[in-house]
Amino acid sequence: MKSTSLFALLAALCLSISGCTKSPVPGSTGTTGSAGGTTTTTISPDAPKVAYVTNGIASFWTIAEKGAMDAGNEFDANVTVKMPANGVEDQKRMCQDLLAQGIKGIAISPIDPDNQADLMDEIYSHTNLITHDSDAPGSKRLCYIGMDNYSAGRMCGQLVEEAMPEGGSVMILVGRLGQENAKLRRQGVIDELMDRSEDRTRYDDPNDGEIKGDKYTIVDTRTDGFDYGKAKENAQDAIAKYADLGCIVGLFAYNPPLILEAVREAGKVGKIKIVSFDEDEVSLQGIKDGSIYGTTVQNPYEYGHKSVEILAALARGDKSVIPAGGVINIPARNIRKDNVVEFWDELKRLTATDAPAAPEPFSGEPPETGEGTATTDAAPTSGEETGTPAEAAKE
Amino acid sequence: MKKNLGILGLFLVVFIATAFANPDFVNAYNLENLIRRASLYGIIGIGVSLVIITSGIDLSIGSMIGLVGTMLPWLLMKQGASLFTGLMAVAVLSAAIGLFHGLLITRLKLQPFVVTLCGLLIYRGCARWMTGDSVQGFKDHYDGLRYLAIGKIPLGFLPGVDNFNLPVPFLLMLALAIVAAIFLNKTIYGRYLLALGRNEQAARYSGINTNRMVVLAYVLCSLIAGFGGILFALDSNSIQPDNFGGFYELYAIAAAVLGGCSLRGGQGSIFGVVIGAAILPLLRNSINLLGLPTTLEFAIIGVVILAGVIVDELVKRMAAARRATLAAQQASSS
Repeated sequence: MKSTSLFALLAALCLSISGCTKSPVPGSTGTTGSAGGTTTTTISPDAPKVAYVTNGIASFWTIAEKGAMDAGNEFDANVTVKMPANGVEDQKRMCQDLLAQGIKGIAISPIDPDNQADLMDEIYSHTNLITHDSDAPGSKRLCYIGMDNYSAGRMCGQLVEEAMPEGGSVMILVGRLGQENAKLRRQGVIDELMDRSEDRTRYDDPNDGEIKGDKYTIVDTRTDGFDYGKAKENAQDAIAKYADLGCIVGLFAYNPPLILEAVREAGKVGKIKIVSFDEDEVSLQGIKDGSIYGTTVQNPYEYGHKSVEILAALARGDKSVIPAGGVINIPARNIRKDNVVEFWDELKRLTATDAPAAPEPFSGEPPETGEGTATTDAAPTSGEETGTPAEAAKE
Repeated sequence: MKKNLGILGLFLVVFIATAFANPDFVNAYNLENLIRRASLYGIIGIGVSLVIITSGIDLSIGSMIGLVGTMLPWLLMKQGASLFTGLMAVAVLSAAIGLFHGLLITRLKLQPFVVTLCGLLIYRGCARWMTGDSVQGFKDHYDGLRYLAIGKIPLGFLPGVDNFNLPVPFLLMLALAIVAAIFLNKTIYGRYLLALGRNEQAARYSGINTNRMVVLAYVLCSLIAGFGGILFALDSNSIQPDNFGGFYELYAIAAAVLGGCSLRGGQGSIFGVVIGAAILPLLRNSINLLGLPTTLEFAIIGVVILAGVIVDELVKRMAAARRATLAAQQASSS
């Protein structure tokens, strides 16, 4: 009897813990529900069902999810967003489940495109396949929506040059180097700092040690495998090892906040410059405060929005939305102290649950096309408003 | 102490070798970082050692850390809970989880491996669901609370110590280690734990309420894991529900086993666990400071620990053989 009541008590505790939780899923009209890494919005039973599959779970993808959901409303599509928590296997399982449900199109960010050819073929043979964020150019995907990671890396390198114009030593921290986007970003940073010509096939092996240039030295690249504790340790160890370290670059969204923690604890804010990638709130606050020099941001909202727009059109048989070269470029931009507030406000507006379904910059504007690439230079704010002329020229 | 010579030797060898290879390794800043990390791992290692001593296991520690680590900032920052409420909530939750494990193991006679493996899945899922998988953190708030994890105490008043500051987690770990060592070695309940780990039936027949002791071990383990989770969260200040604390159960178990706890139960020393827990952060720090490829990290850690354990085992065997020879000689001479 005693143990029965104890179990009842525990069950009640568990229920009460779980019952007081769950923030609402980014909203849209129609019904929206969420289970684990899945969010679904149902516009109408007759609307085509399309899916947006990410490469993991991150605040970055929450923004993309909002874009996808808004596009679902705008272009009359039932959208399912899937965020695999456990890598390639999880992503494969999610896609196969979607195919089994008769999905009319999948936009996927392949985790390991070189080794996911089977999955890509499988999706292609069943439905419309497009890639976003990270491309799989060797696959049969209809188009790629995202930025050029190499160019974004070079832009990130420009931030390092601005933060440390006199030159110095630079440490690069990143989650994994197996992903194509990480490799390209890192190479872009290195090539920019070494003042090399553009070459997307170049690869400096991180195991080869220091990379010395005229002004800058890349002392090392350390990975953390998405272990946040390890990511902070890497930053701390870099500070301990290199007494004259000038700058730490964090290439994944969670890296810069942890770098900032380590630099702050070491009492070296301002002495060691931090250059960031993506738009984590802590990074943006750091830029505002001056503890982080700047960040190169993608436009995840537009990744989600554009993907669903394309998939909805394809599901209705409209193939004209695919540009000639199969690439829709959503360029990266650099955010510094002078434009961080503007950028952040716009980001908050776009990701607020009561934000208008279709933000002004996105609505009805056809992508610009040129040399096989369509460009949507959309929100949060246009490149002209916030980017430097140098960036505009670069893009 | 004698039983822990092997692991202590391994620790010293790695420490001294790294210090010679890169003098920056022994600079004050790096040592502070190392001590803080080792202390955090030490805390969860001490917790799990109490369970391992009873011949049990707790695979849910990493997910517990993930759940507590996300729940505390979520309660404080998102739900507007007071600090007292937040801390009490995670403490009660931790104890309740331990109680839940203990009761399932003792009353329903389920295997600890299965119970805590399911716990690993359940608590991770709860953390992710509760927070909507969004990153949690304390932002710029709760500096006082964060002092527990990132605070340092200047030791400049000591002769010969200039710029070294003692990380606060070390003091917390030290206090916990002393209490745990006294509990294990000087109190009747600690002796009960060791006795039931060696032979539960014999312990029960000699009048020990073994079920109650097992439940106590799991409650203490979960409470300590929860405490560790709070500290890890305060240290990181950026907590991703889907992976925060991942694999920490293995680090804690490895620390306990390296420190002399037998997975068969009945053996264990808190001092050994503390040293065992320091091995992993030491190796990771050494790999970074020596500039060895991160891709080789796991392989290096595995090889060094395996080598240390093999040497430890060989030394023990030689000592046992020497003792046997001595005993035989004494017997023949008398």
